[in-house]
Amino acid sequence: MEDCVEDCEEIFSQDGVLLKQAPASHITFVNTIGTLYLSESLNSNKKRFIEWKPNDITVDSDIQDQEWAVVNTIQKRTRTLSGNYPADYQNRIKCIKFNFEEIKSFRVANKSRQISFYDGKADCLCIFGFQHGNSDTLLAILKRMLRISVSKRDKHLYIVYDANFPEFQQLDKSFAELNIQRDSRTLWSVFRNLKDHPYEATFEAFAKVTDYVYRSPEQRDIDDVDKENLNRSISEYENTTTHSQGDYEVVAKVPERKDFPRLRPLSVEQWKGHLNSEGKIEDVESVKTLIFRGGVTPCLRSEVWKFLLDYFPWSSTEADRQKLLATKSDEYYNMKLQWKRMTKVQEDNFSDYRERKSLIEKDVNRTDRTLDFYAGDNNANLQTLNDILMTYIMYNFDLGYVQGMSDLLSPILMLLESEVDSFWCFVGFMNKVIRNFDIDQAGMKDQLSNLHTLLAFVNPQLANYLDTHDSGNMFFCFRWLLVWFKRELSQEDVMRFWEVLWTGYPCENFHLLVCVAILETEKQNIIQNNFGFTEILKHINDLNGKLDMAVMLNKAEGIFYQIKESDHLSDNVRLILGMPLLQTQTSYGSHEQSPFEDSTELSNSTQPCCSVDNVRISPDEVAYERSINSSFL
Amino acid sequence: MAKTYDYLFKLLLIGDSGVGKTCILFRFSEDAFNTTFISTIGIDFKIRTIDLDGKKIKLQIWDTAGQERFRTITTAYYRGAMGIMLVYDITNEKSFENIKNWIRNIEENASADVEKMLLGNKCELEEKRQVSKERGEQLAIEYGIKFIETSAKASIRVEEAFYTLARDIKAKMEKKLVSKLYTPRGGHQLKASELQKKPTSWLSRCTIL
Ligand SMILES: Nc1nc2c(ncn2[C@@H]2O[C@H](COP(=O)(O)OP(=O)(O)OP(=O)(O)O)[C@@H](O)[C@H]2O)c(=O)[nH]1
Ligand SMILES: [Mg+2]
Repeated sequence: MEDCVEDCEEIFSQDGVLLKQAPASHITFVNTIGTLYLSESLNSNKKRFIEWKPNDITVDSDIQDQEWAVVNTIQKRTRTLSGNYPADYQNRIKCIKFNFEEIKSFRVANKSRQISFYDGKADCLCIFGFQHGNSDTLLAILKRMLRISVSKRDKHLYIVYDANFPEFQQLDKSFAELNIQRDSRTLWSVFRNLKDHPYEATFEAFAKVTDYVYRSPEQRDIDDVDKENLNRSISEYENTTTHSQGDYEVVAKVPERKDFPRLRPLSVEQWKGHLNSEGKIEDVESVKTLIFRGGVTPCLRSEVWKFLLDYFPWSSTEADRQKLLATKSDEYYNMKLQWKRMTKVQEDNFSDYRERKSLIEKDVNRTDRTLDFYAGDNNANLQTLNDILMTYIMYNFDLGYVQGMSDLLSPILMLLESEVDSFWCFVGFMNKVIRNFDIDQAGMKDQLSNLHTLLAFVNPQLANYLDTHDSGNMFFCFRWLLVWFKRELSQEDVMRFWEVLWTGYPCENFHLLVCVAILETEKQNIIQNNFGFTEILKHINDLNGKLDMAVMLNKAEGIFYQIKESDHLSDNVRLILGMPLLQTQTSYGSHEQSPFEDSTELSNSTQPCCSVDNVRISPDEVAYERSINSSFL
Repeated sequence: MAKTYDYLFKLLLIGDSGVGKTCILFRFSEDAFNTTFISTIGIDFKIRTIDLDGKKIKLQIWDTAGQERFRTITTAYYRGAMGIMLVYDITNEKSFENIKNWIRNIEENASADVEKMLLGNKCELEEKRQVSKERGEQLAIEYGIKFIETSAKASIRVEEAFYTLARDIKAKMEKKLVSKLYTPRGGHQLKASELQKKPTSWLSRCTIL
């Protein structure tokens, strides 16, 4: 224990923390509510502390929402101290503070609502009870700051490694020699991430360490049992995902994820090579595959997009296309005239039309105005954007205009520049995504639900996390899906992304797998920071401008093949991706819960719980665990 | 180690598309106006902490998409809102008429005792005005809520609007806390959820006073 006079910076604080057990010096504060702080000394030593102070004011936050807090200003009974004490005595005696180095282990209990710290000397430092929320955030931070591992006997007990422990110095040294990670905190995150990111670069780092462990001559002998452990753990991480289902675990084999590097875009030569003397494309599949793999080289886009967007039939000859252009142009101007000729009276008597017209006007003024092509007042391109959308109302009365449509049209017009061509290409794009604009949003809800199904298959841990954090409805992906990442990517990237998706390869709803790929990438951030409903939305919204389109596509394709080759592939997943259904009716997941069903009851009942509260851990036991774990690593 | 705020209020901006919700929020959180703005798809929020009578109030302000079609999604975010700004555009009659639909929408999806306020935006466009100030005031009286005409563009009374709403929420909340304080059962902890979800219970306790 130290006193409170040192200057500290607060890293984390949690209100409403009940002191359940304390050293004798602080026994008067047992059963008092206070605030738990995690702080770092501002001195050069950068020591970190756990600190608890009784509150005069208690702040209570809504357990469910965590979105707002009420301050209760009722004063605590002040405890009077008699006698002559130093000026800061009151503060000093009140607060409990201990150095990170004192913590040898800690244990989480009572559904994460209690945390006990042990000093490794037979007694416990403190026990804290969380009145609101739980210790998950604190735990996540401790995991980041301390080198810990879970006890093999008690999964709620965390053993803290001592930096002075010989095996650890050795390991640190080996990392330094290998030039992998210098800072010990990142070093440890490598090990921790291993479990969640078995296929990623961390694995490689681990492989290097095992090399070192085996080959380094000065390394002391590792007995055979540990070697076995080492090997087993690697192969386990290699190709299994764990479906957590409450207290038991189902381990389903998912094939290893492969890497699918992006290729160069379809070139003019490649394209020309595929056209026969009549200008007909000989091998459509092969062209589409090239586009899927690398997109289309920019100067070729205005031609190829007309095929991808079903304006030009893939089977047409050059002559067919010339004929088509003439008729489509007539058709367009005919429709355009229909609204152009609308009289003032007609308009006044047609409120639906007026409303659509005004919506378009408002959106056109707010579409990609930062791009040169649409910048400035009285920009002619804005007028064209407006006219195409107005004509689309005439083309599809039932749908009319829905927000988001101007986003879909903007890159097309910017590329093609021609009003007629842009209109028909836009029609083609709309046909692909028309359900995004359903009047009752049924199409969007289906997609969000399908996204959840896919995520639950590929990454059950993350899906489960979202379910238990009010986010199982996947609403935070709404913008991604509605306009196919238009708001997240630059104009150049969105063009590339769309042309790849328009091929319809390698499966139906591939864009949902792109979403899965991004979510999986963000999984660590979301779970380790214990993001709730609000933070998840913010985090996802803030990805805008930060996504690497090529990496996303690459990863999504890897996920596709991983799903495809899984032997427990269920019909509901097959259906979403347009794969042939199983003949037999023995699908694995009997009832995939839709995110639109109320999932609270289900998730509550499957929460693993622990009721064993006061487990005493003897210091020997901790030391034993520590040595086992360190040699295991 | 002072807490960064004393209260956290969740507020919501609703109203027809194009009335200027996002601009109002941008004016309040960034004190700027940007004509190159984009329409809102889905939902987002911004944070600003203000000082009110010596208390730090963190405002978490949610901005929703205005188009009718997206309401099934946006209403999911009404839950937990403590204050709602209903915005119309004084140059657009239709957006004013639609306020009653937005009110109905609130009744169906937000908690019963949420603080509401009516904003007539774009008030600097006097020459294009379609909705008189009197009509705005009248409507506000009908619903028993406060009313302010604002301009996000000319920065007119936007601050005032948010401060007023925040002050009303704070007053309402503190009143409840006091009533809670004098109840026999009232411990030193008060659950936000109790305040919000069981308005009748604090009312009935008030009568004990
Ligand atoms: N003259 C004037 N124009 C404004 C004002 N506030 C917003 N606007 C303009 O009104 C248009 C719509 O503003 P937004 O803030 O995007 O509207 P919104 O309510 O968020 O619309 P949605 O996101 O579609 O629901 C924009 O072109 C703004 O420039 C204002 O106070 N005065
Ligand atoms: Mg907006």
